[in-house]
Amino acid sequence: MPTILQSGAKRWLLVALLVIAVAQAASGWLNRYYLGVSIDIAINIVLAVSLNLINGHTGQFSLGHCGFMAVGGYVSAMLTIAASRAGLPPALIPGIFALSLVAGGVLAALAGVAVGIPSFRLRGDYLAIVTLGFGEIIRVFFQTFEPAGAASGLKGIPNHTTFLWAWSLAAITVYVVASLVNSTYGRGFLAVHDDEIAAGAMGVNPMRYKLTAFSIGAFFAGIAGGLYAHHKVFLSPTGFDFMRSIEIVVMVILGGMGRTAGVVIAAILLTILPEVLRGFADYRMILYSLLIIALMIARPQGLFTFVGPRKAKA
Amino acid sequence: MPPILELDQVTIRFGGLTAVSEVSLSLPGDALCGLIGPNGAGKTTAFNLITGVYQPTEGTIRFNQQPTAGLRPYQLAARGIARTFQNIRLFPSLSVFDNVRVAMALHHPHGIRQALWRGRSFGASEGDVARRIVELLAIFGLDEVRDVQATSLPYGDQRRLEIVRALATQPRLLLLDEPAAGMNPTEKVALAQLIRSIRERFQLAVLLVEHDMQLVMNLCERITVLDYGVKIAEGTPAEIRRNPKVIEAYLGEEHALES
Ligand SMILES: Nc1ncnc2c1ncn2[C@@H]1O[C@H](COP(=O)(O)OP(=O)(O)OP(=O)(O)O)[C@@H](O)[C@H]1O
Ligand SMILES: [Mg+2]
Repeated sequence: MPTILQSGAKRWLLVALLVIAVAQAASGWLNRYYLGVSIDIAINIVLAVSLNLINGHTGQFSLGHCGFMAVGGYVSAMLTIAASRAGLPPALIPGIFALSLVAGGVLAALAGVAVGIPSFRLRGDYLAIVTLGFGEIIRVFFQTFEPAGAASGLKGIPNHTTFLWAWSLAAITVYVVASLVNSTYGRGFLAVHDDEIAAGAMGVNPMRYKLTAFSIGAFFAGIAGGLYAHHKVFLSPTGFDFMRSIEIVVMVILGGMGRTAGVVIAAILLTILPEVLRGFADYRMILYSLLIIALMIARPQGLFTFVGPRKAKA
Repeated sequence: MPPILELDQVTIRFGGLTAVSEVSLSLPGDALCGLIGPNGAGKTTAFNLITGVYQPTEGTIRFNQQPTAGLRPYQLAARGIARTFQNIRLFPSLSVFDNVRVAMALHHPHGIRQALWRGRSFGASEGDVARRIVELLAIFGLDEVRDVQATSLPYGDQRRLEIVRALATQPRLLLLDEPAAGMNPTEKVALAQLIRSIRERFQLAVLLVEHDMQLVMNLCERITVLDYGVKIAEGTPAEIRRNPKVIEAYLGEEHALES
């Protein structure tokens, strides 16, 4: 996928959007259940690929991704609810939805900057704990935030997230993250991941790259939150507990930290798997834990990583 | 030629340990100089001070007549200081090509916007970067292995790749921390030749730390000797070889007799 993206990345994006538009036309044939799962998959791709920019490419271990998702979800849902109460004409709905997604993404990005700042000084486990704490703070905030329904959740969110919206944004997320990283500028993310001291000596400002990764990663997590809110039409703070963050982290690790194509495949598999194993829903986290342990022992480079170092093509 | 680098009574203390003590040094813009001394003398620490990894406890460092106090390593790299590392620090997940590409970003006009938009000028300038990288690699005979993972190269090649990477930042001062460590005698001879030609070709000053005395004495025009963080001698290789303080602290009798 990175090579496709390098030669004519914009063409790739156009083709992907076109395919998605055609699929949208055909998606009427799908039953509601499969349609729902396919939207879940797209949302998880947005989450996993955006987290991959922070955790995989830039090497900043973040456990707070669903905190950003919550910010985006609540902000965009509250906006569209307010808009529908104001009784705006239906023709405006797509525009309002788009604006609400962007607003949610921007607020999530601001949160990303705030969380990114500790990454200047904290590394590895310590940063993971701080980001985990951040995610919990966000959750507790929405649990007590009356205008958003507090603990009983936010109801009556309009059902705006279609197959087209979800998959288009998944394609755009892949395009943005892969294009960013596959450039001379973007090699700085990987350099910071590998060795901050050496990166600094080569003129790379590690702080700037970390903040960029956190803000762009959080922006798309916020967008995913907005898609999620208008797909489930109901938001509950418990849906954003840190297990949700762990799920996204597992997708990134399984896909092979920093491999966009692998992470996309992992996001697809890990969305379908729990659906197939519905009867065992209670054991899902045990399964995930075992999966990570097995992976760390057998294939620390990720399940879908078959190549050596990133191939150098300009 | 005005000095490119000046250290003025520079001291750094780590707790109770004075790793570099009131060291003064002046390096002309076309220097090829050596910094030597026994293990733990403070040579690498001096490099870390010059490159902004550490800030001096006392004293001032000037690069190109400008004080460097408070500047971070990436800012000093942008002003023209490049280095290699004693314990090789290539980017392990990147190819040979991409290791150099990271350093190319410093003087590359494109950022986020161009990377996302991918217009015609983006393609052209990425192509230009690629050409320059391959050119640089070719000088060091590393163009054949451009797609190989950097840390899987033989030791000597890794050291030379670190030099290529440093040169890609277009420095005016190149600091080499034990560039010949782990190389065999043939490689060392070739390296000495290479360092000489680098200075001519890229118009820069070189300061190198090295334990191989034959290499240092043959290559360097002037040598500074540190011992326990203190500068104990400075001069031409011939002067350093005869200096009794240096013989006692570092070279030993046999080396003095050899020459
Ligand atoms: N960050 C640090 N904290 C504490 N002590 C340090 C630090 N960096 C260096 N030192 C100490 O400073 C002294 C000088 O170390 P330095 O690495 O500069 O020596 P060197 O001359 O490069 O030696 P070698 O030839 O072995 O590379 C040593 O005693 C070292 O332990
Ligand atoms: Mg040293």
